[in-house]
Amino acid sequence: MLRYTISRLLQAVLVILVMSLLLFMLIGLMPGDPVENMLEGNPSLTPETMAQMRALYGVDQPIWTRYGHWLVSALHGDLGYSSVYFRPVMDVLGPAVVQTAKLLVLTELISIPIAMLLGAIAARKPGGWTDSVVSLFAFASISLPGFWTSLILIIVFSVKLGWLPASGTPLLGGASLGEQFYHLVLPVTVLTFFHVGPLVRYVRASMIETLNSDFVRTARAKGLSETTVVMRHALRNALIPMVTVLALGFGSLFSGALVVETIFGMLGMGKVIYDSISNIDFNLALVGLLLATIVTLLSSLLADLAYAWLDPRITLK
Amino acid sequence: MTELLKLDHINVDIPIGGGFMKPKLWLQAVNDVSLTVAKGETLALVGESGSGKSTLGFVVAGLRKQTAGTVTFNSSRPSVDGKAPVQVIFQDPFSALDPRMVVGDIVAEPLRLKGVPSGKRAARAVEVLGQVGLPPESARRYPHQFSGGQRQRIAIARALIAEPEMIVADEPLSALDVSIQSQVLNLLDDIKQQHGISYLFISHDLGVVRHLSDRVAVLYLGRLMEVASRDDLFETPSHPYTQALLAAVPRIGKGRRKKEQILKGEMPSPLAPPSGCVFHTRCPKAQDICRKERPPLSPAPGRPAQLSACHFKD
Amino acid sequence: MSTVTVESRPAKAEKNSVWSKRWDRFRHNKLAMISLVFLLILAIACAMAGPIEYFRGIDANATNLLRRFKPPSAQYWLGTDDIGRDVLLRLLYGGQVSIAVGLLATLITAVIGIAIGVTAGYVGGQFDNILMRMTDCIIALPLIPVLIVLGAVDLTKIGLSPDAATSPTVIFLRIVIIIALVDWTTIARIGRAGAIGLRDVDYVRAASVSGAKGRYNVFVHVLPNIATPLIVAMTLSVGRIILFESTLSFLGFGIVPPTPTWGNMLTNAQQLIISAPMLAVYPGLLIFATVMAVNFVGDGVRSAFDPRAESSSSH
Repeated sequence: MLRYTISRLLQAVLVILVMSLLLFMLIGLMPGDPVENMLEGNPSLTPETMAQMRALYGVDQPIWTRYGHWLVSALHGDLGYSSVYFRPVMDVLGPAVVQTAKLLVLTELISIPIAMLLGAIAARKPGGWTDSVVSLFAFASISLPGFWTSLILIIVFSVKLGWLPASGTPLLGGASLGEQFYHLVLPVTVLTFFHVGPLVRYVRASMIETLNSDFVRTARAKGLSETTVVMRHALRNALIPMVTVLALGFGSLFSGALVVETIFGMLGMGKVIYDSISNIDFNLALVGLLLATIVTLLSSLLADLAYAWLDPRITLK
Repeated sequence: MTELLKLDHINVDIPIGGGFMKPKLWLQAVNDVSLTVAKGETLALVGESGSGKSTLGFVVAGLRKQTAGTVTFNSSRPSVDGKAPVQVIFQDPFSALDPRMVVGDIVAEPLRLKGVPSGKRAARAVEVLGQVGLPPESARRYPHQFSGGQRQRIAIARALIAEPEMIVADEPLSALDVSIQSQVLNLLDDIKQQHGISYLFISHDLGVVRHLSDRVAVLYLGRLMEVASRDDLFETPSHPYTQALLAAVPRIGKGRRKKEQILKGEMPSPLAPPSGCVFHTRCPKAQDICRKERPPLSPAPGRPAQLSACHFKD
Repeated sequence: MSTVTVESRPAKAEKNSVWSKRWDRFRHNKLAMISLVFLLILAIACAMAGPIEYFRGIDANATNLLRRFKPPSAQYWLGTDDIGRDVLLRLLYGGQVSIAVGLLATLITAVIGIAIGVTAGYVGGQFDNILMRMTDCIIALPLIPVLIVLGAVDLTKIGLSPDAATSPTVIFLRIVIIIALVDWTTIARIGRAGAIGLRDVDYVRAASVSGAKGRYNVFVHVLPNIATPLIVAMTLSVGRIILFESTLSFLGFGIVPPTPTWGNMLTNAQQLIISAPMLAVYPGLLIFATVMAVNFVGDGVRSAFDPRAESSSSH
């Protein structure tokens, strides 16, 4: 187990390094260069001073040199300055991470029980009418464009009914916790609906398999009530692989968060990445994307380890 | 008799595992095996599962490369693009036929790979299907429409169509119902008589081996224990392992078998074969020398054609 | 001639019977059939956009501030948008783009995925390891952010002329290619699993004994035998790609105006929520309905091609 963990961690570090280089090159392909974007619209600028500035910032160096410089300063904790927010990248990303974490944790907390409930109900009689309704719901969930659901919910609940705010965060700082939650209702609803579909399908499939297994038949034969069988015996075993599904769903959930944060105007990771790319903020875009990638990678790594640890049948190669 | 196939000091080592911070292990599937098969002769490879008999068959068929030693064919025909004139019949008739192809195409595949035009090979496929006892219309059907025995006939037809000089038959009967086994066995026998094809017949069923083979080679842990003509081997087995194998065949009305001939224990792991004679851990005759020295394959006392690798052969 | 029995049906008939049985099973899936009919009608309607525009004498792109926000009428069936364009026509043209992106990107995805996955699975060893680590990396990426960066790439930096970089064709192809670049992994995994499973199967070995090389085995034995999961995965990927495209276009990194797509028709809708909420409803409804229909068809294909149902066709 230890050897497996170490080997996976080393692999993850390697992958992160490769990803950072890939993202570095990719971001370099965005229009313009940092100096040009910084000094844009300054009429007193001659081509000579531009060239001097480029040399000063090292923009004229080949990509390997620039990546090397970036990596060295990044490892020393210097991630550069955001040209959109006029603050160090770290200062922008810190609060954004907290904001997104709130959104995602809340979404998971609501999605998982719903998915388990719906999945279990559907699995009790595969092909029955409850199963059909749940599967229709799951299909709708994976087919709905998140940005459109957001718009429609805003039209209905904010514009027409005026019940809920159309922004995901209170406009003024220092709002009470209740106020904050009130603003999160619509974004979390959209994200939950987006997230829950694949989970339901998974729980259902896993439950059907477990309910057909021998130990569940034994439990039934012992005369236990159906609720006890489902809740105490089947659901538990169906949940072990769910760790993996949750972790693998993280990437897509993060993508959903980007869309939701942009529409509801919440300064989370997704919105920051979106803004940095829209406004060609090289430093922020690079670190933001890299952070998102690292979190996704780590979550899948954790899932693999947890899976191996939870399920005694898995033997590690 | 002229030799068709000559195996010279064949070794097959298969790498196992290996990876992060772990050494690679080598499994000696076949170790220093030399054999010959004459034209029209049937050589049976006999041994328990894990003895390396299938691996050796794969080497002959060209499906696996030996790590040492040479395989030589003395083909009487000019060889086409260096391919050995060999065909294979597999154990499981279900995985041997592509479920998405019609039987006619399956049987004709070796000709397709030789570049024979499609009209010609379709006609030939029907002809060969007839030889194995299947009606012409079966060419248009899919494998799932046939029973296990019929599928094995189709597999045999595919092997025959290429007019091979040798067929490697890897346990061709063991997946079939007993009632079907004898039909297929007779078919294999007929083919041998009519076409003069050599068989490398891999089996653990000694009854079948006795019926079909001319000579028998006994493998244990990838090593050759004994090679002899069928009659010598079955009547006067020389190696203790061969004796144990023969004694293990269930018999009716021949009295209780001698106690010492029952094989003790399990076959050792091929990853860590015993020193000296690999059979010494289970051999009733084992002495000190068996643990230290590997016995060479040499003639049994008084029977120059019967080779046996034992320090105390009969 | 009455002695000619069913036994002597030609090969074609036998082959067709597999497909006709699949079609039979598909037909009995009501949702899948309704979805298929809906998709066909939608495709025909979208294809008719040009003729409709011509015969009604309306220019889909002509702006006219005097006829902004017209309610539905005999002339403008779904009314007009914020700069006076016919909403229905734009929806139909947008559908052409969305469907074209979905199909083309799926095709490219399939080609890349099958090529990489099947090769990795068939060749195995170190080659397989490297390719699979690569797909792991891509799976680890948060897709929408990465698609946005790819959408923001300045094509003049990779050698295109400024004119070419902004032409509608290039913008269309760019979105197709960037989606294909991140979406091929699903198909690659299926292809790899299939190739690994079939590489050592006896009928492939038998072909190898007769002199078959890797390419022959892959095309003759492996691909036909993994066609079913591949077809299902491709159907589902059409829906996913239409969603990607609309999201990207909505965010401004996909297909840009004046070319209409269902996604970019919603970009402005957020500002117009109060004055013209219906403008936000139509395009999204079409995306939703189309993706849902594609997914239902995919599900129908999956159960129609189910190997358990398949084997019951033996006698």
